Amino acid sequence: MKSKNDNRKNNKMFKDNETIDYLIIGNSAAGLAAAESIRELDKSGEIMILTGENYLNYSKPMITYFLSGTVNLDMIHFKDDKFYKDNRLDVRLNTRVKSIDTDKMFLITDDGNRYEFRKLLIASGGRPIVPKIKAIGTKSSGFIDGTNYDKTEGIFTLTNLEDAVRVKNYIEKNGIKNISILGGGLIGLKAAEAFLEKGIDVNIIELADRILAATFDREASGIIEKKLKSTGSNIYMNNTIEEIHIGSGKITGYKLKDGEKMECRLLVIAVGVNPDTGFISSGSLDMARGIIVDDHMRTSAKNIYAAGDVVEGPDMISGGKRNIAIWPLAVRQGTAAGLNMAGGNKKYGGGFFMNSVELLGIPSISMGITNVAEEKEGFEVLKYLNTNQDMYRKVIIKNNRIIGVILVNNIERAGIYSGLIRNEIDISSVKENISREDFGIIHLPADYKKHLVVGEGIEV
Amino acid sequence: MRERHGDCKMKKIYIQEEYCIGCRLCEIYCQVKHSKSKKIIKAFKEEMIDILPRVLVEEIGYNSFAIQCRHCSDAPCVEACISGAMQKNKNTGVVTCDEDKCVGCWSCIMVCPYGVIRRNLSGKKIASKCDLCIDEEIPVCVQNCPNEALKFMDKDAKEKNPVGTKTGRKNEK
Ligand SMILES: Cc1cc2nc3c(=O)[nH]c(=O)nc-3n(C[C@H](O)[C@H](O)[C@H](O)COP(=O)(O)OP(=O)(O)OC[C@H]3O[C@@H](n4cnc5c(N)ncnc54)[C@H](O)[C@@H]3O)c2cc1C
Ligand code: SF4
Ligand code: SF4
Repeated sequence: MKSKNDNRKNNKMFKDNETIDYLIIGNSAAGLAAAESIRELDKSGEIMILTGENYLNYSKPMITYFLSGTVNLDMIHFKDDKFYKDNRLDVRLNTRVKSIDTDKMFLITDDGNRYEFRKLLIASGGRPIVPKIKAIGTKSSGFIDGTNYDKTEGIFTLTNLEDAVRVKNYIEKNGIKNISILGGGLIGLKAAEAFLEKGIDVNIIELADRILAATFDREASGIIEKKLKSTGSNIYMNNTIEEIHIGSGKITGYKLKDGEKMECRLLVIAVGVNPDTGFISSGSLDMARGIIVDDHMRTSAKNIYAAGDVVEGPDMISGGKRNIAIWPLAVRQGTAAGLNMAGGNKKYGGGFFMNSVELLGIPSISMGITNVAEEKEGFEVLKYLNTNQDMYRKVIIKNNRIIGVILVNNIERAGIYSGLIRNEIDISSVKENISREDFGIIHLPADYKKHLVVGEGIEV
Repeated sequence: MRERHGDCKMKKIYIQEEYCIGCRLCEIYCQVKHSKSKKIIKAFKEEMIDILPRVLVEEIGYNSFAIQCRHCSDAPCVEACISGAMQKNKNTGVVTCDEDKCVGCWSCIMVCPYGVIRRNLSGKKIASKCDLCIDEEIPVCVQNCPNEALKFMDKDAKEKNPVGTKTGRKNEK
C-alpha cells in the first residue's frame, strides 16, 4: 500500500527533547490549516505535528471516494509532500498522544516520549460511536460494542483511511453486492453514495423519520427514498438494529426493531462521531461533548488551542456553542487558531452545519436549521416543490434572516444562500423571490447585490 | 504560457452592471475558449452541450450583468475543498480547480457566495469555474464584451485608467 509520494515516512526536523514552539495534535483539516497559518506569521518557529495514523496525508472526506474508486491511494491526499517541506513541518506518524499536562505544558505519547511545548493545538478530530447491540452467535459477551465490534468479520466503522481500505478489501474478497448501513447521517450517506456508485445496493437503517436528520425534512428525504427504492436499495426509517446475528465469527444478518429479519454480510456502523478527547484528563480543560473554545479557538488553559471536529465552538445560528463536525469549519477554525497561536488576532466568527451529497444522480445541499414547525416561534418557511422533476427548494426564515436551506437537484446557486446566512442579510424586501427555482444574485436585496457585483470580492 | 501577473498586483475582472446589455457574448466566448477546438463554429456544432460557460449572465427585463468567479482573497471554496483541487495561487491570486484532483463533491458550490461554480457532468464529475483565462493577455469575456460591461484591471486602476476593455486594451492580438 505504499504510495508514490512516500506516504509513510516521518520527516523529522527537530531534535527530540527540545521545547517545541508550536505542537499540533492532528494531521488533518484543522491541524494543517493551523500549521499553514502559523507559518504565514512566524517564518522561523518550530512546528511539529503528531498523528496516531500511519499516512503522511490523506483527506478524510475522500475515503468514500476511495471506496467508490473515484480516487486511488496516490490521489487521496489533500496536501502534498511539498506543502510539508515548504512550511517546514516536522510530522511524526504513528505517534499517539496518551496524556497532556496542561499546567507544565508537555504531553506524553504512547511510545513513552515526552514533548514540551510553548503553544499547543488539539485538532484530534472525532471517533466513531458504536452503540451497544445484542449479538447472537458470539462466543464472548453477547453484545457488540465499541470495544469488540471489529472482532466480528463484516462489521466496520468508516471514519479513517484504514477503515476504508479494510471495507474495500472485504467487498472485493467476498464479492459483496449489498451493504447495510446503520445510520443515515452525513457519514452513512456519503458511504451510501460510494457504494451505489459502485453498483452495490444499500439498506440504510435510520432512527429518525428521515435521512440526514440534521438538515433534511420529510420531503427532501422522500425524494431520495423514492429513488433508492426504485433501484435495489431501501431505507428503513424510525428503525434500528435490535440484534445482530453472527455465524463462525462473521455477521450473517440482523433483526430490526420492527421485527423484520435481514440478511447481511457487510454492516457499516455510521451512527455518528464523538470528539476524540480520550487523552485529556477530566478537569484539565473545560469540556462538554467536545473541548469548549472561545471565538479565538482558545481552550480554558493558557497557550492551548483547539480546532475542528474535537471542539464545541460558536454556532452562528443559535448563538451558543456546538460541535459541528464538517470539513470547511475544521479548516476555518484551524486557520483562526494558527493565526492566534502565532500572535495574530483572528476571530473565528462561528459556523453552521452544511452538507452536500449526491445519491443515484440526485444532488442535494442542505444547511443551517431546516426542520422547524412553521407556526412556532415565528419561523417562516418558503417552499418550491416540483414532484415530476424531483426538484425541491426550502428556505427557512427567522426575523427576516435566512437560517436554513434545503436544495434537491438544482443546487448550483446554493452558496448564495450560505452567504446570506453567514452575513445575516435582511431579505424581507425580496422574500417573494427567495425560493424561486431560478433564484440568483439578481434577486438579492439591492445593497447586498451591489456588494457582490461591483465589490472587490469578499474578505472573510 | 505568458506570465501575465508575475509579482505585480493581481488584476481582476470588474463588473460594470449599468453597461451590460445582456447579449451573452461573454458566455459564448467563454465556452469557445474552453472547448477543445477553440473554433466558434466547430465548438458550437460538436462540443457545445459539453461545455459550460464559466461566466453567467443574470437578467430580469433591462437589468442584467455578467458575473464570474471573483477570485476571493479568503476564498471559501478553497477552504471547503476536500480534495485540495481548489487552490488559490499565492503569487497570482487566481483561484483554479485542478480537474484531475476534483472529485465532484460540490462542497465548493455549497459555500461560494456568488454561486459561480457549476457542475460539469460531461465526463467524470468536476467543478467548473472561471480560470481567468490564465494564458490570455485579457480574459476572453472581457475582450469580447461589446459594451465594456466587464473590465480587467488591478485594484488601483479601477477608478483611474481602465485597461483591458475594447478600447483600453494594450496588447491587441
Ligand atoms: C466518511 C466520512 C465522510 C465525510 N464527508 C464529509 C464531507 O463530504 N464534507 C464535510 O464537510 N465533512 C465530511 N466529513 C467530516 C470531515 O471529515 C471532518 O469534519 C474533518 O476531517 C475534521 O477535521 P479535523 O482536522 O478536525 O479532524 P480529523 O480529520 O478527524 O483528523 C484528526 C487527526 O488527529 C489525529 N489524532 C487523533 N487522536 C490522536 C491522538 N491521540 N494522538 C495523535 N493524533 C491523534 C488523527 O490521526 C488525525 O490526523 C466526513 C467524515 C467521514 C468520516
Ligand atoms: S469560486 Fe466563488 S468562493 Fe471561490 S474564489 Fe470564486 S467567487 Fe470566491
Ligand atoms: S467539487 Fe471538486 S473543487 Fe469543489 S470542493 Fe469538491 S473536490 Fe473540491
